[in-house]
Amino acid sequence: MPVIESTDNIIQLFTTGFCAGLSAYRAFKTGRHAWVLLFFAAFVYFLADIYWQLYLVFYGETPHYSYIPDAGWYACYLFLILLVNDIRGRRDKTPYNRFLLLIPVFTVGMCVFYLQFGDFIGNILAAVLMSILIRVTVDALIQCKRRELLKNDALHTDRNRNGLYISVLVFCFAEYAAWTTSCFWMGDTFANPYFYFDTVLSFTFLIFPYALKSALKEQGKVTDGYEDRNTPDGKVAQND
Amino acid sequence: MTNIENIFICIAAPLIIATIVSKGRGRRMLIFMIAGMTSCLLSSYISTFIAAVQGADLIIASIEISPLVEEILKLCPVLFFILVFEPDKPTAADACEMIAIGFATFENVCFLMINGADDILSLAIRGFGTGAMHVVCGSIIAFGLLHLWDRLWLRAAGTVALLCVAVTYHGVFNVLVSQTGAPMIIGFMIPLVTTAAIIFLRGRIKSMGIS
Repeated sequence: MPVIESTDNIIQLFTTGFCAGLSAYRAFKTGRHAWVLLFFAAFVYFLADIYWQLYLVFYGETPHYSYIPDAGWYACYLFLILLVNDIRGRRDKTPYNRFLLLIPVFTVGMCVFYLQFGDFIGNILAAVLMSILIRVTVDALIQCKRRELLKNDALHTDRNRNGLYISVLVFCFAEYAAWTTSCFWMGDTFANPYFYFDTVLSFTFLIFPYALKSALKEQGKVTDGYEDRNTPDGKVAQND
Repeated sequence: MTNIENIFICIAAPLIIATIVSKGRGRRMLIFMIAGMTSCLLSSYISTFIAAVQGADLIIASIEISPLVEEILKLCPVLFFILVFEPDKPTAADACEMIAIGFATFENVCFLMINGADDILSLAIRGFGTGAMHVVCGSIIAFGLLHLWDRLWLRAAGTVALLCVAVTYHGVFNVLVSQTGAPMIIGFMIPLVTTAAIIFLRGRIKSMGIS
């Protein structure tokens, strides 16, 4: 059984488990939607890692077909998209920044590169989800900066949200760096940069709860996102 | 060789008769249960087909392919029900759980046919463990439908994400129960503990009024 890979997995299990546990606790305490989404993002990553690690322990090798852990990791990206969307709330009616077009250029380019190493459907799915996640997050960050420049009332709130957006972008960067270094696998040694990037990714799960707490702190009882779901009578709207 | 279709007909026949006799919510529940059993039958065909195409053996198929196929096929009747009949949220959540129960029941019947019914203790552990696992997976999706999303696109994306949670949970369960001794016992205990936690926290979740 590869020792360093297992150690890396165990660190990730601890960080994702911690993030899931803390998010679940805060979800119960506050009843906020965002905490439930972060709980599921961390929990599904935790489950995918535990599946991978159990397979390594029982069979001494990585899974032949990585459908199940991949499903878990992709679900994590989807929950993060929903989380950023929830925190951002209703988007300002301003035109999209044209630099956002560079995101699909980057993700599709990386996808074409990864396709040389196989897994056609998995790579395309990952590219689509990562494109959406990075685009939504960068757009939300640009909106925050724009509001700061306009000296809007929401200035303080927006600054608090920046932390969450930046930590999501660090997560995406670490994921891409880990994928790229895994294409040039240097074995189960400390010299393999994959493990360092994967550890950075693991530590982002420790930052997420604090970043989210900060983002929610100044939002008050009714945020942009909740306004969308509330009727004028203050009752939560049913199906749209 | 197990003629799974014959078993399905034998088990489903009285339930089909019961759906004709019963009315209202009871009839709906019976239909969901039959749908769950049908999903189990279809998933065994599809898993076998994919395993044959991929050249996977029985163990690999059961821990790497079947969780994905089973969870997707369990969701199909719920999706059909939601898209065609547009039920309210609690009814859709009930559908998820009844389909899971039907699925687990038929899976256990097939297990009995293949492995016999001699050892009551191991069968009881397996029966409760597998049943609880399918109910937990159904409950994960039901939770999302009930509490998390109001807007249609959020519900669609969120349901896919929760389906992946269910697939991964199911995968972990299958890896553990494919072993012997302590890992197998832990594997069967995890869904039972999760079910107990869900029952314990159900009132709390309802009162949270997630906003």
